[in-house]
Amino acid sequence: MALDALSDVSDEALLVAFGNGDREAAQALTLRLTPRVLGFAARMLNDRAEAEDVAQEAMLRLWRQAPEWRQGEAKVTTWLYRVVSNLCTDRLRKSRGQALDSVPEPEDESPGAEAGLQQEARAKALEQALQELPERQRQAVILRHIEGFSNPEIAQVMDIGVEAVESLTARGKRALAANLAPRRAELGYEDG
Amino acid sequence: MAETAGKPLDETELESLFSAARAEAPDPSGALFERILADADAQLAARAVPTAADTRPRGLFGGLFAGIGGWPAAVGLAAAAVTGLTIGVVTPDTVDSLSNGYLSADWTTAEDLMPSYAGLLGES
Repeated sequence: MALDALSDVSDEALLVAFGNGDREAAQALTLRLTPRVLGFAARMLNDRAEAEDVAQEAMLRLWRQAPEWRQGEAKVTTWLYRVVSNLCTDRLRKSRGQALDSVPEPEDESPGAEAGLQQEARAKALEQALQELPERQRQAVILRHIEGFSNPEIAQVMDIGVEAVESLTARGKRALAANLAPRRAELGYEDG
Repeated sequence: MAETAGKPLDETELESLFSAARAEAPDPSGALFERILADADAQLAARAVPTAADTRPRGLFGGLFAGIGGWPAAVGLAAAAVTGLTIGVVTPDTVDSLSNGYLSADWTTAEDLMPSYAGLLGES
């Protein structure tokens, strides 16, 4: 199928093709980028429905940008994550005050011996701990350690310097490590 | 165990949490994919609106015709041309009398065509 043939084509080439009227390029980009932007938005907002709205809005902005896309100036993912970041920041500002109430309490469940359950429990614990971080630290940690961006790329997404990125990720990780310490046994880590 | 429970997670333990989070990433629903693709289709449709009329080959005359403004401008040009031709062929009496008046032998110099200085001062 044609979409399989597009799997090796770069994001930028697909975006330019869409800008020239190629619908299959849009399909390929949707399948490739939507899971990433949804995941990032969901971790930032801790709200699935809001994250879906943000993902759709970010992709719409990408479609609108396609005809004017300047090749070689920026990576498509960096540009897109920046849009998602700004949209999330806007929503967090609007819902500030409600956000803390909406963070679910840690579930009192024992993950048991099964690796799948433990992985799920660890992911949930991290998600909850991330929500306790200041917004900028949370964003930097997610981009660096979950989304796999480099520090210069994060600097572009967040519109700050690389040193500021390093500082945010370091402080964020220290806070995560401390906040999750009481749950180390529950998460399957040895006490000693 | 209170003291060990308070020990911060190390790098390896934190990385295992990040790894779990990567593996547990939310899957987009089919409905979300459809909404996003519908937006893409709408963008394509919005950009494709002028294609039916404008992509037809027009040739040199067609290009010039469109360049001067199409049929509305052509009608105006035709009316002006017919009027000019009529004036040239028929030579109405009014035109004759005006031109004869200006070319009559009574006016021999440029000064004859100019108003007097006294006239300009209102002392006629």
